Amino acid sequence: MNVKQRADAVGTFRYIEVQLMETAAYWTPITPQMEVKVMLGRHIWDFAQHADWLGKRTFELRQAEHYTRRPGDDYHQLLEQMKQAEGVEERLTLLYDITIPGLIRRYERYLEETDRLLDGPTVLVIERIVPELRRQISDAHALRAEIGLKTTDATDFRNREAAIASVVAA
Amino acid sequence: MSTIGYVDVEGFRLRADPARDDCFKVVLRDADMHEYPEGTELAARETVHRHMSNEITSLDIAAQCLVEFPDAPWELRLELARQCWDEARHVQVLYRRLLEMGGHKGEFPIATFEWMITSALDSIVARLATQNRTFEAGAMDVVKSLARGFRSGGDEETSAVLEGILADEIQHVRFANRWIKRLAQQDRRSLMQMAKAVRLIADVNGKLAVRKGEVNAVGKELTAAEENVPAVNIEDRKLAEFSDEEIHEILRQAGFRSLVEDDRAEASV
Repeated sequence: MNVKQRADAVGTFRYIEVQLMETAAYWTPITPQMEVKVMLGRHIWDFAQHADWLGKRTFELRQAEHYTRRPGDDYHQLLEQMKQAEGVEERLTLLYDITIPGLIRRYERYLEETDRLLDGPTVLVIERIVPELRRQISDAHALRAEIGLKTTDATDFRNREAAIASVVAA
Repeated sequence: MSTIGYVDVEGFRLRADPARDDCFKVVLRDADMHEYPEGTELAARETVHRHMSNEITSLDIAAQCLVEFPDAPWELRLELARQCWDEARHVQVLYRRLLEMGGHKGEFPIATFEWMITSALDSIVARLATQNRTFEAGAMDVVKSLARGFRSGGDEETSAVLEGILADEIQHVRFANRWIKRLAQQDRRSLMQMAKAVRLIADVNGKLAVRKGEVNAVGKELTAAEENVPAVNIEDRKLAEFSDEEIHEILRQAGFRSLVEDDRAEASV
């Protein structure tokens, strides 16, 4: 990866984190369960911080601070579909069982592909983000067990997410 | 797409209620709430339950600002995102305390008045002026008095919870004060938007406020709203960067009762 490719990837990750922040925020007032609102409130702040760290890094990669790049159309459509999910069980399934695990895989792929020494500052940011995303997944699992929420069948969404090789738009 | 619409309340176009668990009964007026005579266990639980509910509403409001103002400066959005987490933690800690006190979620009616007004406003500066600079700043006055009341009644745990929350609320008011100044410098129309917001609060309050001699849902005679202005928390309002002139005006509205003076009165007893 060259500098421009790194900046585009980091800017795309920033876009996704902002979208996740806005999605969690959008769901908060329309979700009845107090415990779910509370979890979303925590995760809104997580996503915002991730976006902030990534946005500061883009400035070091010859782009504007908070350079943000829309992902490819197929991935963008998935994010929009998830945001419009009806009902708390479907929302949690799409976000915590599919989108976030998929995002972790994409971050890990970036770490495999970049020069970890030359691109050390990005590596540092991603290595801070990934454990937080794993903690969010654990939070959601624990919450569903606590208040008795089920997962929903999201096979189509899962397959479409898995079929997207790269989130970075051409 | 799920959106929260608007409702007509006494001729005002306000935002419809945000979603709540079925166990909650949502009411509109203070007179419909279950405020009990002070000093009883029931009153203490109702106070904690009421504040827990208010924190849920604050979370909803901050989250809705992130959704409806995507073009707000990133640094402001970051503050609002942090506020979401703070309010979420406040809900958790008050719920924990409520359970310790033998209460439960939905034990008393709740209101979402602050959401209905704030989220009806169509500019970010008006929402900051309403929710953070007015309602949360007012809560700083109330919470400090409550923390003191719980402590003097021997309830150190609830007092400590409220004091912890109060420290966070100072930052919510402070960042709003800073951003309001900045936004007003950038666009003078902000001043009109804030004036409109303040007018709306006053007008709606005027319609819904408790009247002298009114009895609430559990039979307690309520103090009229204009006689029930809390003592001003000067120290924390200074930390939240209200100017001396603004504090003086707030003090005037409170009949020049401040918590500093209350402290002195307590100390002299």
